[in-house]
Amino acid sequence: MNLMLQIWAGYARLTRRWPGFAAIIPFIPVLALWTAVSEAGLFPRAFFPGPADVLRAFVTLTYKGILPDYLQDSLIRLATGAAVGMALGIPLGILIGTSRWAHRICWPVLLFFQAIGDIAWLPILLIWFGFGLTTMTFVIVYTVLFPVVLNTVLGVESVPRDLSRAALSLGASRARVLWEVTLPGALPNIITGLRNGLGYGWRALIAVEMIVGTSGIGFMMFDARRAGSTVEIILGMIILGLLWYIVDAWILAPLERATGQRWGLVTS
Amino acid sequence: MFVAPLIALVAIWAIVVPLFNVNPRVFPSVGAVGTAALDSIRDGTLFAHVAASLLRVGLGTLIGIATAVPLGIAMGVSPTVAAFLTPLFRFFSVLAGIAWIPIATLWFGYGFGAIVFVIFNAVFFVVAYNTLLGVRTIPHSLRNAAASLGAGRWTLLTEVLVPGALPNIVTGIRTGLGFAWRGLIAAEMIATNVGLGYMLFVARDFYRTEVIVFGMIVIGVLWLLIDRLLLVPLERATIERWGMVRRG
Repeated sequence: MNLMLQIWAGYARLTRRWPGFAAIIPFIPVLALWTAVSEAGLFPRAFFPGPADVLRAFVTLTYKGILPDYLQDSLIRLATGAAVGMALGIPLGILIGTSRWAHRICWPVLLFFQAIGDIAWLPILLIWFGFGLTTMTFVIVYTVLFPVVLNTVLGVESVPRDLSRAALSLGASRARVLWEVTLPGALPNIITGLRNGLGYGWRALIAVEMIVGTSGIGFMMFDARRAGSTVEIILGMIILGLLWYIVDAWILAPLERATGQRWGLVTS
Repeated sequence: MFVAPLIALVAIWAIVVPLFNVNPRVFPSVGAVGTAALDSIRDGTLFAHVAASLLRVGLGTLIGIATAVPLGIAMGVSPTVAAFLTPLFRFFSVLAGIAWIPIATLWFGYGFGAIVFVIFNAVFFVVAYNTLLGVRTIPHSLRNAAASLGAGRWTLLTEVLVPGALPNIVTGIRTGLGFAWRGLIAAEMIATNVGLGYMLFVARDFYRTEVIVFGMIVIGVLWLLIDRLLLVPLERATIERWGMVRRG
């Protein structure tokens, strides 16, 4: 008991000094448990491989160059989709947020199309564009677009009217009000929208790669499923989790926090 | 007022498709979709698909919530344990849903079990993570105040921890269901022979765009109903009840 407490205190001190460890050390017991269960042979090896097998698969696939290639494909698809989705979504969101007419016309349509959901578009997209990059990009753009638009609208609407009126009465042009009041005011929401959108886009990418893919991490996992190779499926899952964890926890969440704090909002 | 733009959209669709003589293999006319809708209602296939999909989502979600909420609260009771477990649950909530389809189909075979499992874990990890966050964000002074007023563990749990975490739990349920619904459609395309996703995907094989478009509309309407009639009121009620204002 005493030893446990000492270990625990040591851990608390360590994570206080280097918070990075707090994100890594909790995974050690999970790995240990995983190893124990797979070594104990409760499940057939083919269904439940151990960490060592997965690591071996990782080394082989990296050495063959398959994994880096697939990873690159997936990331490029996601980045393209996110960029296009933002380029369309932010202006559209600002338009809907600032114009009452645009809001009245577009809002129900937006809600409805958001409800249909990205993956439901797949069958008809396959008819239109066939199995290929266009289909995948379309789905990801579609997924990223809605959270960005909806959150941008919320952000624009949350900017107090008085602020833009004050800027106008001080002689700012409409364009300047947009640039200096509306856009900065809506920025925290836009970032939140981007974060949500990428979260959905990431999942959509995996689904699309499974169904139509010829490369990418999702394809790798589904191909492994066809071959019955659990190791590669688990490897794919770990890579997906790690990658998104890094993007979300180290890039998007700090960005969200920074913009939120900068404009005096508190976001969890 | 809300439906007017949607009706306008249908009107544009009804005009544009005959006007440009769009190939029905590319996009169906309104009439064709209407016929497909009537056909599938009359022969009962629509009902079968919708019932199968809703049963899977309902079952997976119920099991997910029933296991995630107690676990999340139990983990959140001790701040140090909560801090230790947060990265783990964050990792798994990131993976939740679609990424589990390949291994779920390997473990459970193609069919009901695999799909319910995918939905279950989409809901489970997101709800557990949010519950954990919710319990962690309850101010310590509240717990101490309750304890010093003589609340036992059970009272603390039912009067402070659960109510305090409730807004987060509800947000978690809404997000988790969003992932689960998408996961459902994807999983049904891959791993079954009944359900809305299957209905769409099989129609694609025969280039029956009218069935696809009808299916998409059904999916959209169903999700709007679930979200607006179930999740949004629930979220609003809990947030207003606890006096919090939150961005959407």
